[in-house]
Amino acid sequence: MTTNPPSPITSSNRTPQSSTLDVAVGPQHPGSGHCRILIRVDGDYIVSCDPDIGYVHRGCEKIAEYRNYVSNIPHLERPCIPDAIHMNWGYVLPIEELQGVEVPPRGKYISTIAAEMNRIMSHLYGLAIMQGVFSGHTTIFMWGFGDRDLFMELAEMLTGARMTYSFLAPGGPRRDLPFGFEDRLTKLLDYFEKRLVEYDRMFFRNPTVIARAKGVGVLKREDAMKLGVVGPVLRASGVDYDVRKVEPYGAYSDLDFEIPTFDEGDSYSRFIVRFEEMKQSVGIIRQALKKIPQGPIARKAPLVAPEGEATGRVESSRGEIAYMVMGDNSDKPYRVKIMNGSFRNLIALPFLIRNVHVADMPIIYGSLDYWPVEADR
Amino acid sequence: MSQDSISREKNTIEQLKAQFPDAIKDAEVERPHRITVKFEKDHLLDIARFMRDQLGFDHVKGVAGVDFPTQKKIEVLYFAGSYSKAEVKDVIVILKTGLPRDNPTIASVVSVWESAHYHERETFEMFGVKFEGHPDLRKLLTLENWEGPPPMLKDIKFPEMGQR
Repeated sequence: MTTNPPSPITSSNRTPQSSTLDVAVGPQHPGSGHCRILIRVDGDYIVSCDPDIGYVHRGCEKIAEYRNYVSNIPHLERPCIPDAIHMNWGYVLPIEELQGVEVPPRGKYISTIAAEMNRIMSHLYGLAIMQGVFSGHTTIFMWGFGDRDLFMELAEMLTGARMTYSFLAPGGPRRDLPFGFEDRLTKLLDYFEKRLVEYDRMFFRNPTVIARAKGVGVLKREDAMKLGVVGPVLRASGVDYDVRKVEPYGAYSDLDFEIPTFDEGDSYSRFIVRFEEMKQSVGIIRQALKKIPQGPIARKAPLVAPEGEATGRVESSRGEIAYMVMGDNSDKPYRVKIMNGSFRNLIALPFLIRNVHVADMPIIYGSLDYWPVEADR
Repeated sequence: MSQDSISREKNTIEQLKAQFPDAIKDAEVERPHRITVKFEKDHLLDIARFMRDQLGFDHVKGVAGVDFPTQKKIEVLYFAGSYSKAEVKDVIVILKTGLPRDNPTIASVVSVWESAHYHERETFEMFGVKFEGHPDLRKLLTLENWEGPPPMLKDIKFPEMGQR
């Protein structure tokens, strides 16, 4: 057995030194929900940090045990409203597995289109707030939010809601593509691809962004794997892991796309890996619109799930979301366990926010795209 | 499901069973990509170390507690996955063990899988499971002034939310 070196997460020196000062950052709403990070500073340097989360804990898993499977759909997508389709889909997959319901091909394609639109919206939110505002870049804040709204209008056309869609139920999506939707979406993608070029010039090649984010908060490949981080944070550290590829769900096995990875593992590569993912999402939606088959969109699923447990997972914008749903022959789940991207990326906060300048903290926090509400549940 | 599609899962189970003939009570492939292993709780660290070093399962996706008041036990589930080994990247191994409800205690896997750090803290807080050897077993999500039994146990009821 090899002995592990002392970990910064667990062995951070919690006895104060005479030269250090403890500062509570928060609880405030830095752009993604309330959370507090206790930092210990020595001059301008952060010596260690201890994330004190739970300010938006609502007991989602407990409440889910009191509600039936269908009323849990809107309930369980609330923890991460910018990424509602993925919160929703991850919950629906294990129920379908327990009930033995198979979604028809057209339903899978519609779910995939909705999910990729949601990924673009979520990454635009991350680009605008978590990366733009946190690095003091107000232009990309306005641009990102402006373009995100165009996608939200189309999401409203498809699902009836701009953000909290409750679109997928066991058996398939609730609605077929509305009349004229394909044309409007194709036009929007044409526009958005041109905008992506401008984003690149305005933000990712911007010398101030590069100066603030390059080489800051480096998470090496081995550390990323050891800490079990997920999603763009993992792929920015050079690990090629995406649930859409390793365990395809929906229509992803029929579609051709790449998983962007970067080797540097710094904040800048975590910024740009999401940018590259948006390009891939555009390609996925285009292919799905072309290949979408005719036929029914959903099958009838029972309201009761049999005894047993199932684990389903999807790749959300913040990383892999796995749901374990345990049924007991009733219309309510016996237990729902949510293993989401933000809670798994939380461990990267104390690992990365140490021996850095205080001014680097927002950059690192923003590059993780950490969503406190999702982590607290 | 064809025999071929779950051969890797079968292979993983056989390796585990060969290494720990006494500790592994039951292991099955539920469906492709999922393995459920029931084990004796005293052997957790050996199994975890073997899975990390020999089988390539290098991280934990989550640690879940499930309360069964009628059977007087709390089940603890570890969801282990692999980033580094290409053959088992898509497999989730669910390690499952039952703990007595009056004194749920189990060894902490943080020394093997550091990724379990916050998941064990959460399960400690929500189910009262004591993870022995955890470097920093504190409350995480509930309020600082929350007193009372662990909130996720089934005997904590919220009648205003309906019947359960």
